[in-house]
Amino acid sequence: MNVLPLLLYAAAGIAYAIHFARRHPQAGRIATTLLIFAALAHTFVIGMQTMEVGHVPYANPSRAVSTFVWLLALSYLYLEVTTDERAMGVFIMPILIGLQTIPVVSPGVERMDPVLDSPWFWVHVSSLLFAYASFALAGVLGLTYMVQFKEIKKKHLGYFYTRLPSLQTLDVMNWRAVGVGWLFLTLGVAVGALWTAQARLVAPEDPNLQAMSLADPKVLVTVITWGVYSFAVFARKTLGWTGRRTAWLSALGFTIVLLNFLAVSYFITTSHTF
Amino acid sequence: MHLFLLGVSHRTAPVDLRERLDFSSRDVGAAVESLAARSSAAESVVLSTCNRSEIYVASSDPARAREELVAFLGDYHQLPKDVFLPHLFAHDDDAAAQHLFRVAAGLDSLVVGEPQILGQVKDAFQAAAERHCTGPLLNKAFHWAFGVGKRVRSETALGEGAVSVSFAAVSLARKIFGRLDGRRVLIIGAGEVSALTAQHLRSHGVAEIVITSRTAAHADGLAAAVGGRTVPWDEMRQAMARADIVVTATGSQRPIIFREDVEAVRGRRRAEPLFIIDVAVPRDVDPAVTEIEQVFLYNVDDLRGIVQENLARRGAEIARAEAIIAEELTRFTAWQRSRRTIPTVVALRQRFDDIRQAELQRLESRLSGLPPEARARIDEVTRLIVEKLLLEPTEQLKALPDEETQAAYTEAVNRLFRLGDEGTAESAAGDIDTSPDTQDAMRDRRSVRADRRGGA
Repeated sequence: MNVLPLLLYAAAGIAYAIHFARRHPQAGRIATTLLIFAALAHTFVIGMQTMEVGHVPYANPSRAVSTFVWLLALSYLYLEVTTDERAMGVFIMPILIGLQTIPVVSPGVERMDPVLDSPWFWVHVSSLLFAYASFALAGVLGLTYMVQFKEIKKKHLGYFYTRLPSLQTLDVMNWRAVGVGWLFLTLGVAVGALWTAQARLVAPEDPNLQAMSLADPKVLVTVITWGVYSFAVFARKTLGWTGRRTAWLSALGFTIVLLNFLAVSYFITTSHTF
Repeated sequence: MHLFLLGVSHRTAPVDLRERLDFSSRDVGAAVESLAARSSAAESVVLSTCNRSEIYVASSDPARAREELVAFLGDYHQLPKDVFLPHLFAHDDDAAAQHLFRVAAGLDSLVVGEPQILGQVKDAFQAAAERHCTGPLLNKAFHWAFGVGKRVRSETALGEGAVSVSFAAVSLARKIFGRLDGRRVLIIGAGEVSALTAQHLRSHGVAEIVITSRTAAHADGLAAAVGGRTVPWDEMRQAMARADIVVTATGSQRPIIFREDVEAVRGRRRAEPLFIIDVAVPRDVDPAVTEIEQVFLYNVDDLRGIVQENLARRGAEIARAEAIIAEELTRFTAWQRSRRTIPTVVALRQRFDDIRQAELQRLESRLSGLPPEARARIDEVTRLIVEKLLLEPTEQLKALPDEETQAAYTEAVNRLFRLGDEGTAESAAGDIDTSPDTQDAMRDRRSVRADRRGGA
């Protein structure tokens, strides 16, 4: 069922690439339209899965990835509509297409541990997925900022110079994405911690809950992520870090997020397997 | 009817001659009016910019039009012919249309792809159209040219990238800051390039332009010209602390701004970008300034390099633009060819209608007994039969692929229906052209026909 959104994301990706390379406004409008249809189709798929299992489907990694892709597509569309800037699409689409392939190839089984059946779980996962989507946007914005910065600073005005938005625009968009992401990351982590403490009282013998500590890779990496982004917010607010430094931080942060989200979920044994 | 063009441009004439043949310093509208009054050409448009003075006419006799236009140029500008004759160029028909399309697309401009020319062509046409100096041929040709200009601009990168130092500086500023409104500019040293840059920045809505110069009078002059304010020379550093964009253009033999200066004044604003444009030769700003994070330093050579690159890029787009023009020219020529058959078509219709009218006339005595509605019906039906019979041959005649075939077919039609015989002047066999008076005659006849129809 995840195939249709994937195909539409791929079509939108091609249109964004043509728009970027040829700078053809018509291709850009087609790209946006395709992406809107992809997001609608994806909304439908997720809606169906929600009806099927009775809650938003992210209790297994593949479905969580699918939900993440959906959130990222929506966040990107929001960014595009509010800034009227389509150049970033070509960088976002590969992420959408690449990640959406995962639920298509291995749909996974949605099984709900009774211990997860709580509104806390919903808040925890939603916040984190939304934070990660924001960080993905910020990461891409940071990378393009660095490319653009380098071309202008080195006085070598090349391929990207004519296609990317101005440094100031990239910087402001990056900061907004980091700020929003950090808020949701903080919320998600806080809820997760409180909820674990609460669940331990209810089911003290559950081995997963017992192992839920900083020693768990997923928890550890998440805390590191939080540290990196907290520093980014702090540096921006008080040290006056902007531009290239912020861009670096958001690219670094997103690398850690991807590591956590994919590598840790799929390849490393962890107690945090819900 | 032929499209004919005569003129001088930067390719054929030196600037002093172009100035003497310039129409725009006086009134182009008046020029085109006085031309129309004395020339035999049916339509005329005068295009005059600092790089060209061109006259486009629609004439049945290009050789005569040429003589008249040469005489007009000499009289209007009070110049002896021999002064400008060697610098004139003239084109007719396809070549004239091609020239017009190339001009509108910016291909014939001094700076290839410059955007103003399309507007100037539009204005020239507008001035002539308002004075009723244009007609079917020039209307079509110019509107076609506007379309070509637009297509070239949207489908090629011919007009992209700044091609002057000051524009290159402004477009860089926009890549760094995005929108420029609210930005503060400091100009150090009042020179030509800094004045131009200041003007471009002003037109992009910068909030403030502060000018300082060792010679206070220069600073005051520039401040008045671009709407800025001046500060004394020794407050230059304080002014720099507030600025987002700094333009330096002093005549100093040694750098006046060093890395330490910039670092010192940046202070709390060090997180924000600072764009320094050093257009002075020798340079005003020590190159080490560029090592400061968030400071972008461009000197005049860097900007010239960008301009060169942009020009080269435009050059690469010329072939694509020429291809668009060739394509449009083919379509325009086909349209023009189809127009040449109009006299024959009109004569043919006239012939058929005459026969129809004659037959109705002959039957008048028998028809007179019928009620008016029935008579009207008969008139209608016979007219429709004639129309339908002629529809296909007319379309075919218009769509003939080349001039030779077209001449042969028109000749054949003329002969088969003896169109030249009864004094239908516009279709004398072999001559497929229309002079203004025969056009008028045709128009008259058409209106007579309409009257008859109305009366029937």
